[in-house]
Amino acid sequence: MAPLRFAWALAAALFLLVPSAGAQQERSPDSALASLLQEVKAACAQPPADRLGRILCGGHIRIGVRDFYPLFAKHEGETRSGYEIDVARAIAARLGVEIDFVRVRAANRIPLLAENRIDLTIATMGHNTQRDSQARFIRPHYYQSETALIAPRGLAFAGWQDVAARTICVTIGNGSNAEIVDYGARLMLFEEAAQLPERLKDETCPMAAQDDSFFAAYFTDPAFAAAFSQKIGFAQVPWGMAVARTGSDQLARALDLLSQIFHRDGVFLEIAGKNRIATSFLEKQRVVWQGPVCNVDTGAAKPTCILPPRDAELKPTGFAAGVAAFEVWSRRTLGIEIDLPMLKTAPAWSLLQNGVINTLILIAGALAATLGFAVLTGLAMAAPSFVLRWPARALTVTLQSSPIVLTLVIAAALAHAILPYSPAVALGASIVALGLSNGSNAGQAISEAMASLRAEQGDRPGLFAAALRRSAGQIVAFLVNAAKGTPIASFIGAPELLSALTDITSFASGRVTTYCLLLVFYTALIMGVVWLCNRLRLVLERRGIGA
Amino acid sequence: MSAMADRIFSDFLPVLLAGMVVNFQIAALALVLGLALGLLLAAARHYGGAAGAFATSLIALMRAAPTFVVMFFLLNAIPRDATLLGVPLAVGGILAVVLSLVPYSAAYAADAGVEALQQMRGGSTLGALLFLPNMTRAFFVLVMSSSAGAAIGVSEGIAVILRHAGQLPALSDRLVLFAFGVLCFGIPLQLGFALIRFAQRRLGRRLTGTRS
Repeated sequence: MAPLRFAWALAAALFLLVPSAGAQQERSPDSALASLLQEVKAACAQPPADRLGRILCGGHIRIGVRDFYPLFAKHEGETRSGYEIDVARAIAARLGVEIDFVRVRAANRIPLLAENRIDLTIATMGHNTQRDSQARFIRPHYYQSETALIAPRGLAFAGWQDVAARTICVTIGNGSNAEIVDYGARLMLFEEAAQLPERLKDETCPMAAQDDSFFAAYFTDPAFAAAFSQKIGFAQVPWGMAVARTGSDQLARALDLLSQIFHRDGVFLEIAGKNRIATSFLEKQRVVWQGPVCNVDTGAAKPTCILPPRDAELKPTGFAAGVAAFEVWSRRTLGIEIDLPMLKTAPAWSLLQNGVINTLILIAGALAATLGFAVLTGLAMAAPSFVLRWPARALTVTLQSSPIVLTLVIAAALAHAILPYSPAVALGASIVALGLSNGSNAGQAISEAMASLRAEQGDRPGLFAAALRRSAGQIVAFLVNAAKGTPIASFIGAPELLSALTDITSFASGRVTTYCLLLVFYTALIMGVVWLCNRLRLVLERRGIGA
Repeated sequence: MSAMADRIFSDFLPVLLAGMVVNFQIAALALVLGLALGLLLAAARHYGGAAGAFATSLIALMRAAPTFVVMFFLLNAIPRDATLLGVPLAVGGILAVVLSLVPYSAAYAADAGVEALQQMRGGSTLGALLFLPNMTRAFFVLVMSSSAGAAIGVSEGIAVILRHAGQLPALSDRLVLFAFGVLCFGIPLQLGFALIRFAQRRLGRRLTGTRS
């Protein structure tokens, strides 16, 4: 009986142990991948339900890659090279299939998946919340980039506080632009990233912000690396391989597991090193995926193991739906493409409101300052004492000789030497600069009118009021000129409407509509100022006739 | 201070002068285009009718359009691939500055042109010739206004000054550089104004001589 009992006990123990050992095997990503591939291959006789079946049974995988993204994917003649190309080859080798490379661009790398013209895209694609609804991203991510702020090595740079009111060259539509705007930088927009290194070299751009993966190739050039350095990195974006959202569940699962294994075994790291790209992210990921918590077949679903997509969703305004409906109506009914990004998201709407308010403050301030400085310099230049007259004349000649952009820059430099940068300081400096520049000219006209009146009538009471009336035309001309000059204040970081709309178009669409509206707004505003100034002139002249 | 002076004269001055040439080129082009358009508008306004009313409205609009906004509009609102009858419409940096100055120069030329036409009708040829010093004044205003190009990366005089200033950590050094820039722009400007005053005096004297 004893041997029989022992046999039963052994059988029971084996029965209990085998599933337990099986469960442990299932928890390894390697075994999960092996089982999945075996299962799909076994069903090759039937029409494949998932793209993984078609790939494994057909022996080919179609992978969308970039044609020219130095260090990551490059196509020269018959040769493809780069980090992403080598990752694609490693995946195909592990699946035991051939690769058909398909050239993709930023604009079509997701549509080609949906149209079933490629199975997988590995094309420098940042994973963000907006794209999550368009493609199924493979987790864990195979790379991470960040926006790098590049500037000449010699430029002293302590942190974000040093970008306020400075020009930074960026590409239109880059999501990280919104972050730069928050620090008070002035953006110079470019359509293509390839323009930025050239503009840095010819000193058009004092600083440039772009994906660090883009600049990586340029830093392999010793001359570029000797001249420039990365000052700060921000807006980290994980890069994801992606498959179609439908019909690719098994393919996505297989790639998730492969990606885990590649991180754990240092495959990604080795390929990155071979292609001379930054490896700090991959080194950290290797540690994560070697850990017992993540090195399981469910690791790619654990929030503690994977990185979240970058949150690229901007909070919509309460009336965004109405604006979108208006855009559709305009397109369908009038045949006019109107895009109003400034009304559709909360940050853009806030920038627009502040821009309009600041523009009105700036114009009112510039008009008041011009009038004030006109009266002061007019009085000083017409004063009998040379102590007042000559400094006023010297100031006028100096201001006349300085282009308004330079006058604004000097005013801003002096203001920032006294006070730390803020939008209010920039507005104040702009008002003073515009007022001085135009007011001194108007003051000169007043003093000339005083001189002519003195010659005609001699010194008498009320001469200054009469001079004001006589020079009313010139005063009005310089008031209008001051109002017209207010958009230039954006050059020193004053957050007026031109500056606000440039910021909005740097991270949103609708440039054409935005700049058309801007031109209409400013032209209408200046016409209003002209009308008001002409009314003022008429009032002055009527009083003159009465007197 | 002597190091600063060395730096200004050996390194900075040639680049600044090259940049200022760009300012003068932009101003010259804007003046030529403005003259062509402005004189047409002046003729239309002078002879009245519907064309005259249209010209008056257009001149008012052009007078009100801020140069800086027009420049950004031209640079950003025209799609890069836009064409008209096969001719590419997209404008680059320098052309954007030139075209943004045309509304001002055209409006100015139209006003001065109307005045000149009235003088000619009144029989004063010399009065009509005041059009020339007026346009010279407009040219110097355009030279100063062309510095707006610095905001869009055009390598003109002010852009050169700002680039060099960006490399100077001390405010005092930057102010010296700015002062030198003002001097460099101021000399041709004040000479230009002196030329205008001289021309006006000469014309005035001849005008008085003709009448007497």
